[in-house]
Amino acid sequence: MHTHELLLAATALVLAVPTVAASADKDHVRVELIAEKSALVPGERAWVGLRLVHEPHWHTYWVNPGDSGLPTKLKWQLPANIKAGDIAWPAPRRFEVGGLFNIGYGGDVVLPVPLEVAADAKPGTTVPMSVEVRWLVCREECVPGKKTLKLALPVAASASANARTRKAFVAAHAAQPLASTWTGNARLAGGQMEVTLSGADLPSSDKLDAFVVQSQLVAYAPPKVARSDGALTLTFDKSEYLAATPAAIDLVLIDGAHPNVLARSIRVPFAAAEATNPSATH
Amino acid sequence: MKLHILLSLSLLALAFALPASAGVAVGEAAPDFSVTDSNGKTQTLAQYKGKTVVLEWNNPECPFVRKHYSSGNMQKQQADAVADGVVWLTINSGANGKQGHLDGAGANAFVAQYHATPTAYLLDPDGKVGKLYGARTTPHMYVIDASGTLRYMGGIDSIASTDKEDLAKATQYVRQALAELKAGKPVSTATSQPYGCGVKYES
Repeated sequence: MHTHELLLAATALVLAVPTVAASADKDHVRVELIAEKSALVPGERAWVGLRLVHEPHWHTYWVNPGDSGLPTKLKWQLPANIKAGDIAWPAPRRFEVGGLFNIGYGGDVVLPVPLEVAADAKPGTTVPMSVEVRWLVCREECVPGKKTLKLALPVAASASANARTRKAFVAAHAAQPLASTWTGNARLAGGQMEVTLSGADLPSSDKLDAFVVQSQLVAYAPPKVARSDGALTLTFDKSEYLAATPAAIDLVLIDGAHPNVLARSIRVPFAAAEATNPSATH
Repeated sequence: MKLHILLSLSLLALAFALPASAGVAVGEAAPDFSVTDSNGKTQTLAQYKGKTVVLEWNNPECPFVRKHYSSGNMQKQQADAVADGVVWLTINSGANGKQGHLDGAGANAFVAQYHATPTAYLLDPDGKVGKLYGARTTPHMYVIDASGTLRYMGGIDSIASTDKEDLAKATQYVRQALAELKAGKPVSTATSQPYGCGVKYES
């Protein structure tokens, strides 16, 4: 009798579980490997993605996580005729917790990964894919996670959109920073890193934020934004952990005023080091 | 002189505007502090002048801290350092009510549970010392030489992860800095990106 009730309850529970695999309660984020299209096409690029569905107030991290945290990492196991590229990081957000800043994602987000399918992949075969995902999910407290996700896709002469994942990939592609046509440079001046950009269609928004991809260059509070003569200057505090300046730095700019959040990426060279007197000022 | 005052004022303003990034710099004097330890004793940096001092930011519930304690890595480094005459101060800047905040008894229980041997466990619930040093993560490590000059700040080691398997491959920066200082050599890696959980300061 009891068993019967239990069984009923268990059935109801199974039915209530959403289609996304994983236990959200103790993990605080559900992870799933999804494909944009129904099949892999020989000689073409396909997109798969790690979908992260965060519990409210929890977040995972961008490639540069900020003051603390860890970026989400993927380790693929694929047949020789499939090559996975790096995560195409969508535009991130800045989170502040007690004066410290982190960069990452909350809500429902997809980290897309391009797959290059070899021209000799045979239609009619199935490609097994496996990826070991490691992430750190934090609210204030942090919980590390690790899971191996699997997905099998057929190889076919053509592929159609996957109805179940279409919306997620549309959003993921829309959130990709587009390469900008601006020019600019970065320089160190008095304990700060100044990035000056010029060109057409510089964002005029007061909801502009900018993120530096490389770590150990800048501090993670939002930059100060100034505009003059058609140029945009972003001033970051220099990182206390700056050891050496690279030849160039990569930035992602996000215009939060744009209805769908417009993101641009740019690589700017370092201007020749000038007489700086950074950390010595007291 | 006017300029100097102005500068001081603006720096002061900056220090308040950016509570956690005020910070310190390698090669400069490590600022003195005065806090209570887990046994109710006052601890200052100045009292250890003439000795090498390690500062270790701690939150016992942070998975990065657990990696280094459940593996024994942190305790081994503490024991070796202390045996070498180094002063090792573990500091908790977690605010009251936040994850990992400890009172004196809790700190002593943590130390006993992990057979840790810091010289003292300092309680900094208002984040005064943490913000003075710009401590961001747990762990976050600082090495101060016998003359009171900061010689290393950053991560405990070179691989940012919560996985114990990474320990064997990682360069242990604090151990390396202590060995180099002892040998009278320059510290080869004087800064590294600290990694871990954010310090749970009062919001």
